[in-house]
Amino acid sequence: MSEATDVTEGERTAYAKDVLVDAKGVKVHFPIKRGVIFDKVIGHVYAVDGVDLQIRTGETYGLVGESGSGKSTLGRAILNLEPPTEGTVEFDGVDIASLSGETLRKKRQDIQMVFQDPMGSLDPRQSVESLLLEGMKAHGLAKDEAHASKRLRELLSAVGLPSAALKKYPHEFSGGQRQRIGIARALSVNPKLIVADEPVSALDVSVQAQVINLLEDLQEEFGLTYLVVAHDLAVVRHISDRIGVMYLGAIAEEAEADDLYAQPLHPYTRALMSAVPVPDPLVEDRRERIILTGDLPSPANPPKGCRFHTRCPWKQETKCDTERPVLRVPEIPGVGTGHRVACHWTEQIESGEIQPHEVKAQLVEQHGAGGDESLLGPASISEAL
Amino acid sequence: MTDTLSTSQPHPRSDSDEPLLSVRDLTVTFQRAGDEPFVAVDGVSFDLRPGDTLGIVGESGSGKSVTSLAIMGLLPERGVRVTGEVLYNGQDLLKLSPTQMRDRRGAELGMIFQDPLSSLNPVVPIGLQVTEVLERHRGLSRKAAMPLAKEMLDRVGIPDPDRRLKDYPHQLSGGMRQRALIAMALAAEPRVLIADEPTTALDVTIQAQILAVLKDLVEDTGTALIMITHDLGVVAGLVDTVNVMYAGRVVERAARHPLFAEPRHPYTAGLLASIPRLDGSRGERLQPIPGSVADNLPWTSACAFAPRCSQPIDQCRAQTPELVQHDDRALRCFNPMEVTR
Repeated sequence: MSEATDVTEGERTAYAKDVLVDAKGVKVHFPIKRGVIFDKVIGHVYAVDGVDLQIRTGETYGLVGESGSGKSTLGRAILNLEPPTEGTVEFDGVDIASLSGETLRKKRQDIQMVFQDPMGSLDPRQSVESLLLEGMKAHGLAKDEAHASKRLRELLSAVGLPSAALKKYPHEFSGGQRQRIGIARALSVNPKLIVADEPVSALDVSVQAQVINLLEDLQEEFGLTYLVVAHDLAVVRHISDRIGVMYLGAIAEEAEADDLYAQPLHPYTRALMSAVPVPDPLVEDRRERIILTGDLPSPANPPKGCRFHTRCPWKQETKCDTERPVLRVPEIPGVGTGHRVACHWTEQIESGEIQPHEVKAQLVEQHGAGGDESLLGPASISEAL
Repeated sequence: MTDTLSTSQPHPRSDSDEPLLSVRDLTVTFQRAGDEPFVAVDGVSFDLRPGDTLGIVGESGSGKSVTSLAIMGLLPERGVRVTGEVLYNGQDLLKLSPTQMRDRRGAELGMIFQDPLSSLNPVVPIGLQVTEVLERHRGLSRKAAMPLAKEMLDRVGIPDPDRRLKDYPHQLSGGMRQRALIAMALAAEPRVLIADEPTTALDVTIQAQILAVLKDLVEDTGTALIMITHDLGVVAGLVDTVNVMYAGRVVERAARHPLFAEPRHPYTAGLLASIPRLDGSRGERLQPIPGSVADNLPWTSACAFAPRCSQPIDQCRAQTPELVQHDDRALRCFNPMEVTR
């Protein structure tokens, strides 16, 4: 999975102009250490294991996956908050990892992050005014007082908060309002890209919609590019132009949001899609669910071959457990070049040639790395990440 | 509410029409020294017959979880006042002594919580925790209980139950822990099972597994289920009757089909319009409910939802709406959504 194999040279140059983020072969491996005096590395958690990803200027790219899929780690790797173990991330044509010191700090102005938990990501002892000014000052955007105060008022009105909010502290706001402050803070330095990690999952459903609409409005107003990382497929589908579905550190399928919903091709995407509850009894009663057996395997000891083969109802005798599938455009009539799937048997599954079969749930060890059973590791791999 | 129940599946125990659990005017007030009393649950009433499945839907602060804790007698005695009646087989559970209640809890009324790790004992193997329930409530010896415990784990879909009996909670994944908890709750064969956000902490593919297990077990055993959740999608495919709660009161109650097809309370309608649907059309803008629960008015003199409502009238801010039975539902609203059909 080194180069995006199925994008032709011509297409690559056509995209090249408006590609804002270009991640190639990104891997993030966390060492698992043991030892009292000397730390010995006894294995790795393969959180992100070979991802190629392009985000175009002005689009919203949705990264969806379950816990342990590596979606958040990939988001952080793109910001270089988690330096990739392997691979490169180019932002605006510049490899971020090659930057350091002042140039890196300047570049960071272009990439901002919105976190899941607004209470945890806002300093409780700073007023909203000081929270918003902090970034602006760091990047030299608050030169004189008059200019800064005008900018603060603009920011607050952009995110729909009254200007009286400036003198208040985070605890005085509701969850939705705090998320608005988090978004205003990200906006304060005029970024090009905003990475939003689970921006609405901590909010009540009635408030979620307010924040989703706000993100959409801001994108239109300021021409922002978003990378939205979330577990909720319905939310991701609603706001994204393109979606990447992650499973155990790799992208299983990537497509335009509408195509992915209309024609999910990867067995995992099919199962994920069928598991999302729809608030409509008519739909729910008719639906056929693909219920996956067992749990996500440990990213410290991922299955050989296709990562999904241990739970896949379409698993075949050959290839699946030996050969790792690459992300490719399937040869299915009507499927465009933007739709890529990492499955050996996509064509045969889609045509009905391969039918799903029963899967026996496999035991997933919650501890140990690299098959070392005697070792007591973190209780679950999501805790380790 | 009972006339609207679906009768699609046979319920082995539904031999009588008497409600199994009857909650009457349940009110929970939190009163801390120096603070204003806070009414978390305000006059909630409902009936549950054998084999019924009932959903309670609401956002944080709606009182849905406090309702379940009050029914189970799990609220602390200090600083909390619980009034009303919780009639189980004609007996008021609120009047029982803590010891009497302990015999009922687990045996007759089971409960599953959102976070299985904090409901399981971390230093006791899973198998022992399940057999404990069987020993305590079904009077079995440990030796007799062990095979049954294994069977329970197998029924909830835990692979290799023999080995899992010896495992500690931290060795299981979140989904497996929740299954173990369901196995424990059902081991005593309770007649009522209260599930409080049982899948909220789980991934969707695991959620689908757990909901399927719950659905099957409820159908097989005839246990009546109270499902408490914030997720309208979860109740849409699972329960017969849905209660929508807002600020401690039930604002709309109906069978799931009419409720989702045509929500009449502006809050229910607002909730449905504000969630992105996987099968919705993508370009469509979501219709959020404005404001937050901080804007609520007190129920004592108005409709709490009025400040966030899409179609309030003057009366809403001046008078308390009552829960009134209409043809296919109960509604607490002066100006409900128009019937379109």
